[in-house]
Amino acid sequence: MDLVQLQRQLVDYRTSLYHEGFLDEQFTQLQSLQDENNPDFVVEVVSLFFEDSERLLNELSKALEQQVIDFKRMDAQVHQLKGSSSSIGAHRVQKLCIVFRNYCEAQNVEGCLKCLQQVKHEYGIIKTKLESMFQLEQQILNAGGSIPV
Amino acid sequence: MELMKSENIVQDRQPQPQEEEEIMQQEEEEEQRFHVLAVDDSVIDRKLLEKLLKASSYQVTCVESGEKALEYLGLLHHSSPASSSSSQHHHQETQGHKVNLIMTDFSMPGTSGYDLLKRIKGSSWKDVPVVVMSSENVPSRISMCLEGGAEEFMLKPLQLSDLHKIQAHLLKSLPHS
Repeated sequence: MDLVQLQRQLVDYRTSLYHEGFLDEQFTQLQSLQDENNPDFVVEVVSLFFEDSERLLNELSKALEQQVIDFKRMDAQVHQLKGSSSSIGAHRVQKLCIVFRNYCEAQNVEGCLKCLQQVKHEYGIIKTKLESMFQLEQQILNAGGSIPV
Repeated sequence: MELMKSENIVQDRQPQPQEEEEIMQQEEEEEQRFHVLAVDDSVIDRKLLEKLLKASSYQVTCVESGEKALEYLGLLHHSSPASSSSSQHHHQETQGHKVNLIMTDFSMPGTSGYDLLKRIKGSSWKDVPVVVMSSENVPSRISMCLEGGAEEFMLKPLQLSDLHKIQAHLLKSLPHS
């Protein structure tokens, strides 16, 4: 695939992520902060998000396996996940966290379990999509091109 | 090869008046850059905030908790600011660095942003503007912080355009020369 095709593919892919609600405006903000002094800024922030999210999702799984469920602690953790997904523009994950928090507040175990599954699912999707997007960007850079805005 | 005359050897050379001026100007510019203390328990938000602030030419120090912020400001063991090696008991200096603005997240474990705000306002740092940030738009929380002395309450995630508001506060707090 030649450079122009790669660049077009990237633009289309990115656009679809916004259209399908995977990403929101905040992701654009992130990109606008990247410059020659910090060419890997977006990848770095997103990597932090991946690490942080996986940690939180693990802790939430464990919390729901306990005999006595600490809803307050879970709520704090979902709040963190909501915050970080909001900060990078991971729109669907963020929206699910809001629902999740409601179930925590209501101390609804079934609801929490279901929500956790949904969040894990959406997280998996956005992770795959962002990784694909970064790969495309790298291909473009390797081919000597620049990443279209 | 020409013998280097002693007066041309770099280390012995006295800076010319023009260069001296340039060096002083550079140092002054650094001194004049606003220094922001950013407090947030989220590593992602700290990274974002740091970038936003640096992109606006501020100097930034990030800490991960209210306790660390109090420590930085010399307020951890209650009493007066820790006497640092800098001889001046300048109210707005610690560890040799001035602090022009404090930006803190509201929800943090341990010392919350609100706790931090109250501590700061009850100390010799009270004239430093404090901006509280939160991902939640809760009117009672907002008024509580503003009444507690916060200069501004901002919703996360912050954007570059939000920093313009901050600039106004910083300029206000500058002593008139």
